[in-house]
Amino acid sequence: MQIETTLAGSYPKLPTQPGDANLRVVRNRRDQGKATDQDVAEAILATTRRILAMQERAGVDIPVDGAAAWDDAQTYVARSLGGFQIAGLIRYLDTNTYYRQPEIVGAVSWERPITVEDFRAAQSMSERPVKALLPGPFSLYRFSKDRHYKSPADALRAIGAALAREAQALEKAGARWIHFEEPWIGRVRAEEASLVRAALEPLLAERTARTVIHVPFATPGAVFDAIRDLKWSAIGLDLVESSAAWEILPRVPKERIVALGLIDARNTRLEDPAEVARAVARARSARPDLDFQLSTSASLEYLPADKAELKVSRLVEAARIASRNGG
Amino acid sequence: MPRGLWTTTVGSFPKPPNLEKARNQRARGEISADALEKLEREETVKLIRRQEEMGLDILVDGELYRGDMTTYFAELMPGFAISNPVRSYGNRYYRKPIAVGPIRRKEPLTVSWWKFAQEQTSKPIKGMLTGPYTMMDWSFNEHYPSREAMAMDLAEAINEEALALQEAGAKFIQIDEPAVSVRPEELSLAVRALGRATEGLKAKTITHICYGDFDVIYPALLDLPVDMIDLEMANSRYDLLDRFRANPFTKEIGYGVLDVHSHRVESKDEVKAGILRGLEVLKPEQMYVDPDCGLKTRTVDEAFAKLQVMVDAVREVREEKGITA
Repeated sequence: MQIETTLAGSYPKLPTQPGDANLRVVRNRRDQGKATDQDVAEAILATTRRILAMQERAGVDIPVDGAAAWDDAQTYVARSLGGFQIAGLIRYLDTNTYYRQPEIVGAVSWERPITVEDFRAAQSMSERPVKALLPGPFSLYRFSKDRHYKSPADALRAIGAALAREAQALEKAGARWIHFEEPWIGRVRAEEASLVRAALEPLLAERTARTVIHVPFATPGAVFDAIRDLKWSAIGLDLVESSAAWEILPRVPKERIVALGLIDARNTRLEDPAEVARAVARARSARPDLDFQLSTSASLEYLPADKAELKVSRLVEAARIASRNGG
Repeated sequence: MPRGLWTTTVGSFPKPPNLEKARNQRARGEISADALEKLEREETVKLIRRQEEMGLDILVDGELYRGDMTTYFAELMPGFAISNPVRSYGNRYYRKPIAVGPIRRKEPLTVSWWKFAQEQTSKPIKGMLTGPYTMMDWSFNEHYPSREAMAMDLAEAINEEALALQEAGAKFIQIDEPAVSVRPEELSLAVRALGRATEGLKAKTITHICYGDFDVIYPALLDLPVDMIDLEMANSRYDLLDRFRANPFTKEIGYGVLDVHSHRVESKDEVKAGILRGLEVLKPEQMYVDPDCGLKTRTVDEAFAKLQVMVDAVREVREEKGITA
């Protein structure tokens, strides 16, 4: 059986080859009044094209567009939803990266497509099904400051419903895969399981695209039973940071997919593909009835671009070995 | 009459535009290292003079010669390589350390800058270091078998530097550990590493921690083996004080009253109110008033406008409460 390969989340924007479009430089020039918004938009497209071409060369089955236009994992979407405003920079968990904190100041609503044009552009650059990226509703809520809702459940339902509209718009644009980034699901206590479910249920109920709930940095063990019967297609596990994530495998319902996050997205040390393939074999031997993807543990944007590219090569090589050894 | 409410800052100051320009020129090879250092020294002298004029009690060198708080040290320590740029937010990037071999301290890392700064003033200048846990957590690791092994080697190296600062005359040594608050399960490792880093120090020891889940790490945080813990209070709207009511804060505290991530300059009344709320729970002799974090993300004008409000607010609270410095 073939092990499909994919990446999680966003991807480094900087080029690895001299002469390639450098979004950072263009944005700096725009800030200095030496380049226009159009120049930045073109650099975003060129960066997306380069990220997709790199994955195509490497042989990634389900590529990502890299989220070249995003400043962080929350605000690109949150700033275009009704009810949100964007506040100051704060630290993004334990990653030593930052995000601008969304604040909920009114009823959360979906007003217009946010990521659809980006998706269309990316899909037009690739023959393979580009995986669309959205923040997960529970994490978007936990990363935000709620100044409006009287109860978290009300806020979570509203955010879930708003993201469902965006997912629907992506589906209409042709998205076959949608990735929801949910780091907070790995950090909550069992008492919050009903809240996690309240956030995800409306989002997943009517999806026609295949959906990935990706949980980087930790294991979703405390709340997994509350979401196991929801209509997600794949669960993305970070098996690098959290060995406890292996304990999720026996609890995954039949006919679902597990994206095995075995390539460390937070350390430059390169994996031995044979060793990664052995970990895939371990997963298959534990659950021969499931389908598996091989993935990065988290967004590769925590790495410099040169190392990220090497990691993608290792990922594909490991999947090939795993597939050769019996899929 | 009680003493207390001494004023200080957390460490970094914004680089003035001429220095930013010179650093960029140096990166492109357009000016020499000596030319850049000459400017860094000139601006450091001006910064110290300005802190004195404002009436701050404990000064810093401002770290105008440093870039990132981990990379600066890693560039000077064998065992580290430096990565290509990694994004921290939006269009901001930094080069992240990579542990590629055993890490050690081969030469003084900050001592000559501390001596230079202290020569400019009769007020105490804090020695400023990045802690072993944070250096470990904010670096890639291609060498060590465990996070603990890397943190403890770093602790050894940082201890050598801290002792050298003490030998040079530093009365306050701050070893920042902002990463401590984000992995509560590793607090005991952070305590051990900081314990090694502060071993043999008689100077007043401080650590700065910010932006984390204090519900989980307080009061265990008080196990950190330092005299003073510097905390962001304003950013969390002083809600840490409720925790101090339940579990008394038993060390000295760096009491942050300025939100360093906001362009808005606080009013004197709101800073006074924050200090007065602190005095309901803490003793004045426990409290060192400062911004929530380093000021380097503000503009020069914003940083000094905020600090002036802080100094004025402290002065008024001291007068009203009969507290002396």
